[in-house]
Amino acid sequence: MLRGLVRARGASLGEAGCEDVVQEVLLAIHLKRHTWDQAAPVRPWLYAIARYKVVDAFRARGRRIDLPIEDFVEVLPAAPDRDPTEAADMAKMIGMLDGRSETIVRKIGLEGASMAETGAALSMSEGAVRVALHRALKTLAVLRERHIE
Amino acid sequence: MKTDDLIRALAADTLPEADLSGRMWLVLVPALAVALAALWLTLGFRADLAQAFGNPVSLMRWMLTGALALVSMRIALVLARPEGHGSVRLWPLAVVAGGALAMLIWAYATTPAEGRQMATVGKTMWTCLVAIPVLSVLPVGGLFWALRRGATSVPALSGAVIGLAGSGAAAAVYAAHCIEDSPLFYVVWYSLAIIGVTIVSAVIGVRILRW
Repeated sequence: MLRGLVRARGASLGEAGCEDVVQEVLLAIHLKRHTWDQAAPVRPWLYAIARYKVVDAFRARGRRIDLPIEDFVEVLPAAPDRDPTEAADMAKMIGMLDGRSETIVRKIGLEGASMAETGAALSMSEGAVRVALHRALKTLAVLRERHIE
Repeated sequence: MKTDDLIRALAADTLPEADLSGRMWLVLVPALAVALAALWLTLGFRADLAQAFGNPVSLMRWMLTGALALVSMRIALVLARPEGHGSVRLWPLAVVAGGALAMLIWAYATTPAEGRQMATVGKTMWTCLVAIPVLSVLPVGGLFWALRRGATSVPALSGAVIGLAGSGAAAAVYAAHCIEDSPLFYVVWYSLAIIGVTIVSAVIGVRILRW
């Protein structure tokens, strides 16, 4: 649903650009979940976050001109098939985290490791991994903000 | 990075965030206590503070600034939600402003013509215009710190409302020192100081309330 919403609003960002925004929105929903008033309906809240992030994306990409790829379809060789849910921005941002945070996010996200496994691998307690992951995700949002500037 | 991988990382993070109004009070109470202590140590309280509370015209200074602070804090909390600016109601601010204006008009009508200018300029205009913004620094800063965790979609408006809340509270603190009881003085100069802080806060809001 979210992907549909972002694509409808941000059609000119291109498919990969939209997926970047979808990931930003997911991160924002997660980090700002305490701003949802549990007595209020969730949809307007979700839409407001998505709209804010799409507008942000347009502003950030405003200076760049994205030429629609369709204009070059005739001259370009067929692009290799890529996963439509793969996006580049978040990976870049994770790369900018400090070493340990990066490892934690990668292990839990990309490798699907549990808290306990991650802790054992980094010789940290499970609680410390929890806190470190929480901080790392917040840092991602801050990095994202700076990256846009 | 695949979106599903990101979702997995997000889902693994289960630490809760403190709610915003809790954070707001947590920082505002000590901020105001420090402001009050600073006022007491530097300018001191007015000698007839107890009598001032008994004088309805003087008491209105605390009523108006206190109401401004409380109303603005409620609005700031609504605006801290991403969908908040659609449902926020700003008319309570107009009620407070209307109350202040009514006091001003009443004082103008009841003060003899030759006394009006003296009552308006007072003796402590500059102290007031400097002290209220200075006393606002901690409360406004604290509110920004608390509401940065929010997710406003209107950073400038949110910043302005935070400025109103913080400087309204600071003006209530300052009223413990200020000996000018005429609404001709306090409505004019308190408002001017509060508006100044509000404008600066709106500019700060644009910069630091983005997410």
